[in-house]
Parts: sequence; C-alpha cells; structure tokens
Amino acid sequence: MTGAWLAHRIATSLFMAWIVATIVFMALHLVPGDPAELLLSTGGISPDPASVAELREKLGLERPIMVQYGAFLGGLLRADLGTSLVDDYPVLSEIALRLPRTLEIIFAGTLLAIALGVPAGVYAALHRGGRFDRIASGVAALLLAIPVFVVGTLLVLLMAQTLRLMPAGGYVAFTQDPVLHLKLLALPAVAIGKGLAAVLFRMTRASMLDALANDYVRTAHAKGLAPGRVIFVHVLRNALNPVITVLGLHMGTLLGGTVLVEYVFNWPGLSTPLLRAVEARDYPMVVGIVLTISVMFLLINLIVEMLHATLDPRVTAR
Amino acid sequence: MTISRRTVLGAGVVAPFATLPFLSRPARAQRASGILRFGLSAFPPNLQPWVSTGASAGTVKLMTHRSLVSYDSKGELRGEIAESWSIDAEGAWVFKLRQGCLFHNGEPVTADDVKWTIEQIAGEKSTAYMRTQFQDIERIEIPDPKTIRLVTKTPQATLPSWFANYNTFVIWRKSAANEPIGAGPFRLVGQERGTSLDLVAFDKFYKPGFPKLKGIKFVVYADENLRNAALQSGDVDIIEYVPWQSMAAVEADPRLKLDSVEGPFMDVLFNGSKPPFNDARVRRAIAHAVKRDDIVKAAFFGRGKPLEGVPIVEGTPWYDKDLARGWNYDPARAKALLAEAGFANGFQTTLLSTAQFGMHKDTAEVVQQHLAAIGIQCELQLPDWSTRVSRGIRGQYDMAIHGVSADNNDPDGLTVVLDTSLSPTHGRSFKVDAPRTIAALARGRAEFDQTKRVEIYKDMQRAALEEVPLVGLAWRSQGYGMDKGVKGFTNLPGALTTSSGAMLEETFFG
Repeated sequence: MTGAWLAHRIATSLFMAWIVATIVFMALHLVPGDPAELLLSTGGISPDPASVAELREKLGLERPIMVQYGAFLGGLLRADLGTSLVDDYPVLSEIALRLPRTLEIIFAGTLLAIALGVPAGVYAALHRGGRFDRIASGVAALLLAIPVFVVGTLLVLLMAQTLRLMPAGGYVAFTQDPVLHLKLLALPAVAIGKGLAAVLFRMTRASMLDALANDYVRTAHAKGLAPGRVIFVHVLRNALNPVITVLGLHMGTLLGGTVLVEYVFNWPGLSTPLLRAVEARDYPMVVGIVLTISVMFLLINLIVEMLHATLDPRVTAR
Repeated sequence: MTISRRTVLGAGVVAPFATLPFLSRPARAQRASGILRFGLSAFPPNLQPWVSTGASAGTVKLMTHRSLVSYDSKGELRGEIAESWSIDAEGAWVFKLRQGCLFHNGEPVTADDVKWTIEQIAGEKSTAYMRTQFQDIERIEIPDPKTIRLVTKTPQATLPSWFANYNTFVIWRKSAANEPIGAGPFRLVGQERGTSLDLVAFDKFYKPGFPKLKGIKFVVYADENLRNAALQSGDVDIIEYVPWQSMAAVEADPRLKLDSVEGPFMDVLFNGSKPPFNDARVRRAIAHAVKRDDIVKAAFFGRGKPLEGVPIVEGTPWYDKDLARGWNYDPARAKALLAEAGFANGFQTTLLSTAQFGMHKDTAEVVQQHLAAIGIQCELQLPDWSTRVSRGIRGQYDMAIHGVSADNNDPDGLTVVLDTSLSPTHGRSFKVDAPRTIAALARGRAEFDQTKRVEIYKDMQRAALEEVPLVGLAWRSQGYGMDKGVKGFTNLPGALTTSSGAMLEETFFG
C-alpha cells in the first residue's frame, strides 16, 4: 500500500461525500413542502401567511437556493452542519448524540451474528447432511427471508406483550441503568443480527467444506494430528478469510437495516431524527445525517480496500 | 474433561432459566415513587408556549404552564390564573386574577405578565397560533394589579375560551427568549432528546394539594403499535392515541382501561376556484353519495360514528337531530343533483390524501368507491404528509380528505374549518364560496345571549348544508389507554380531547 494510492483513495472518498451532500441538498429543496409552513401547521390548521413569512425569514429560507448552498458548503469546511430548522439545535450535536447508539446496535447485532453464525457453520460443515445441518440451513434460509420489521414486531409481541419478559422498546443510557439498557438492546440486536447470522452461517459452512476438501487436510490427518487441531488451526483459519470479507461488506448494509429496527423498537439512534427531519423538511438535519451515513459507508469501504491492499499488494499496483 | 453433546444441550436448556432474574420486570416500582409514565406519540419539536407544535407538545406544555382559564373534566371552562371573568357594560372582557399564583422562579403572576403575554402573541413578528384572534384585542387595561380588561375591536362571545387553548400560556414577562417561565403544576427537569421528558411537581403550585403526582415521565413511542405494546407490557402507565385496531384488546385486558371519546372528525375538502367544485350542487351531491358506515368500519375498526352534517357534538345545545343528518346517504339524490348541475354522466377528478396516515388513505379509498358509484371517477393522490400540506395550502388539488378537530366544543370553534374566507390552509376548502355560513359564524361570535346563539348556529348549519364548505364523513374515536390503577384522569369530551393533558394535575395512583 503506497502513500500516493492512499491519498488518491481518500480524495476519491471525500469527493464522493461532497457529491452525496450536494445531491441530497438539491433534491430536498426540489420536493414540495415548506419547513416554515409545516412547523406552524401541526395544530391541524395553518397559521396566517404573515406568521409563515416571518418564520421563513428567520430561518433564512427566503435566500436563493445557491446562497443557501454556499452557506452550507462554507459551514461544512468549518465542520459546522448548521442548526435544525425545527428546534434550533445544532445538527452536529444531534449526530454526536445519536450515532454511538446506532453503532451500538450494529455492533451488538454483529457480535451476536458472529457468535451464532460461525460456530453453527463450522458444526454444520463438520456434520454435513446431518440433522443439525439440515435444520440450521432451513432456519438460515428462513431468517434471510423474513423482513427485519416482521421479526421485530414478532419479538415485541412475544417477549413484551405476551410473556412480559422484556420491555417493548425504548432507550435508557447504560450509565443510568445498565441492566435495563442491556434488556432494551437485546431485541434490536437480535432483529438486526439475524440476517447477518444467516449469511455468516452459510458462508462459514461453504468455506469450511471447501477447506476440508483440500489436500493439506488429508495430509494433516495422515500425519496423525489431533482432529481438533486440524479443524481449528488449519481448516478454520483458512476458511475464515472469505467470512471476514463478507462480514466487512455486510456491516455497511446493516446501517440500512437499523432504520427499521430503530423505528420498531423505539431505539433513538440516527433513524428517528432522520425520518422526523424528512417529514418536517428540516433540510440541515436531513443533509447532516445522510452525509454522516454516507461517510460511514465510504469509511468502511476504504478500510476494506486498505485491508485488501495490505493483504494483497497487487491491489495497489492496478 | 470431555464435553459431551448432552452437556452442551443441557447447558442450552438451563441457561435461559438462569438469566430469568435478569429478565424479570420491576413490579410497579413507579407507582410507589409517584411518577406517572406517559406514552406520548411524538417528541415535541419544541415547547414554545405560543407556537402550535401538535397535541403531544400541547400535553407537555399543559403541565409546565397555565393560562387564565382551562377546562374541567366535563369540558366546561374553569378558572386558573383568572379567578373569574365577565363582560362589562361596554362589552369588554374583565378577568380577575387569583391571589398567590407563582411562576416557577418564585415570581408572582401579575396583570403585567398577562398583558405582556397577550402583546407578544398578537405582535407583528409573532408566529403564535392565536395571533389572528389576539390581534382583535384593541386595548389591554389594568385598572388594578389583580384585574385585566380586554377591549376588542369586534364583539367576541367566546374570548375566554381563547385562553384555554394550549398555545396561549401566561409567561413571566422577563423570561429569556428561549427560556419561557410558566406557572404550571409541574417543572421540566430533564429531557433526552427524541426519547423522553422528565417533569417533577412544582411545590408552590397555586392549588393546594395539586398536583397529586410527584412527577411525570413522558416517553415517546412514535409507532402506534409499539406504544400499545408498551402499555400492555407495563412499560408505561398511560398512553395517548390508542390505535383503533387495539382498542378492543385494551378493553379486554383486565389490567387496563380505555377512555375514548368521539372528538376529531374526517371530512372532504374542495377546491372551489374552478369547475366542477365551484358549484354547490356538485359538492352536495358528494355529501349525499358516501355511505359513512363503511368509513367507520374500514378506517376506524368500528371505533367512530357516521357524520352526516356539520360537525357539531351530540349532546350539546347546538346539536339538532334533523340538521345532523342533512347530508344523509342518498345516492339517488346525489345523482339527481349531479344531473341538475350538468354532470349527468359524472366526471373525472382527483382526490388528494396521504399514504402516511392509514386513516386518511383508508377514508379516501372508501370515498373513491362511493363516488365511482354515482359516476365520479377519482384518481387517488397519496403523497407524504408534508406534500399533502403544501398542496392543500396552495390549492393544488380538486378534492382532499382531511382529519381535524374543532378548536373547542362551541360552534365558533368550527370557524377554522368552515370559514373559507380565511387565509388558505390544508385544513379548509380552497376558495369555496360559503357567504351565508361565514356570516352566521360572525353573528354567533358577536352574540352573547345563549338562546339567540343556539338559533344562530342552527341557521349556520342550514346554510352550511346548502353551501357545503366541507363534507362531514365520520367522527373518530380518540382514546387514552391506561393501567386500572391510574385514577383521576379524564378524556375531555369532543374537540377538547387533545387538551386532556390538563387532567394530569388531578391524576394519581389509586
């Protein structure tokens, strides 16, 4: 991995982020709906046009769109994403508050998926065609097929409403009540992690079967190595490489899945303010959050590319 | 040591039970602490005391602020900061203020604060919900520190009810711009943005013995099913907006109770700026074409009532049995009216609603079916709510479906939906001609004699049935679901249901 290659990749990522921000900014201003009107219309009945005009002026919506765009770019250079039109709160503070929570369910869901998917995949590959393999493959197909919001709703129905074992949803800071925090985290983590667990299961199983068919496995067995050592040291180590790649690629898609999971479980991550901001045409908030999500996507891609480049120097030579 | 498959399986079976203490729910811990957990449907965009930001924000504001008057559990006006009010010989409203009212900072509530509040709401740069009404106040006089006299430009019979609206709170006149200081029964002590708000009782509240709770924790559940699940699983003690499909389950649950009223209503709005809806006969044809029972069943799971006239609440003096059915379902009459207007073969048009709220979409679909039966083919337009609002205000539609409640239970509270001469909004028909209805509303507002007012509003209903500034479709049930242990909370009748938060100062655990 060369410095020039890295600089080029980072520059490309920044350029992409700017393109995304510009598209979102322009598209939002093109769709109908006026934030000032909406803000003052929530009582069911709109206020008089004078109040709306007053608020539009206060919010700076009277300025030409290119002037607003210029101000937005200027702010971006100073790492200032502006303030919400709805409640005058800095967008950056909102993101700083919410992003860790979104990352927390992604992280918890990923851990859960690894803990379930990888061992199950290994076990299924070692007992190929057995009862566990067949059942687990069926369950994995099912988990992939059922949408996140259906699983989420079923979990709430079963665990909260029927068995009353878990809270229906919501959020409490870990520092405030660690036990309740983990209880509230559990169901969203299951909902977000179930698809990834199925993917990891299938990937691990297939990759293990590939690795098991290699000559070196037969040689290791012939040498008289302990079967456990053959599996865990030789086979698994080789089989996990593609699994890790798939994991990296899927981390990004989990970001999309969290929108539904956060909504279903009332988890106050980035999705709620994003949905609310879109509804209210809160331009700075929408652009800020979308920009954050895209930067995270780009960052994950960059890291995956860097890993590839480190592992396989031919990547940078291309 | 070898780990057999049996050991692993055994551990798998035992483990969930070992974690049960971790999973067990705290048994009604909140009740002992006197903190009511309230499931809100939306996090307040802001808590500005005079800007309308929806009913959920209104509920929170009703806790931290007080105005001159509010509503009691029967929906009648009762004194708050004002002890009494009356109209004097010159037609001005005079409010006598209560002794010993304090703001949360300990400052007494004075007539100067009330005057300042009214001036702010009516101000030129104001974005207050009641700005237009308050601009009718010509002069504010303070004859003595405990009396305030409001001289209006035109007679205003319902002026005291303006102060019961949850967007007209009295604020300490020296409050910082972003920190309004109120005189409500609770103080806001903390909030988790987008998630929850924590209130504690204000120990110097002017009514001795109130509030009865030590505090309220508002938790936001935007998804209606989750809000209901939170109530059923015991996460919260009370929720607003019980989803219609869940009302039966709440009623059936031995631990819960449902308090629902018919308050808000659904209606059809028209764009009267162009044919065919500039013809009252066409609008009336539509009023007779829709079978309302279907809407109640399809959109509200039977939790509502057909509305075949001007939305006047049954049981009030203004209600008239015959007028209330003035737009009864009569497809033959609808067809005859269409023919009379020159549309014997019907016509093509559009119906604007929103897919964002199921009840709006479902109502629109039922209306579409019934109109098709008399030859009016509607193309449904179902954008998101923001676009629906924007297009409504600009008159970019032919017909629209709307759901709303009047400002209060007095027929004057219907002005916002019936007076089509007011500035365009998404909640009123666009440029529909209804001069007699509007004139009757103005007469009712200027008349102080109750018997005469009843007659005037019957005239208003007759005029509206002919001029059709809107078509009433269905009353919809609005319900609070709560634990049976929650006492003293009442869902206020009719249009006032969204102001029921005022009852939380009387709420307690029994």
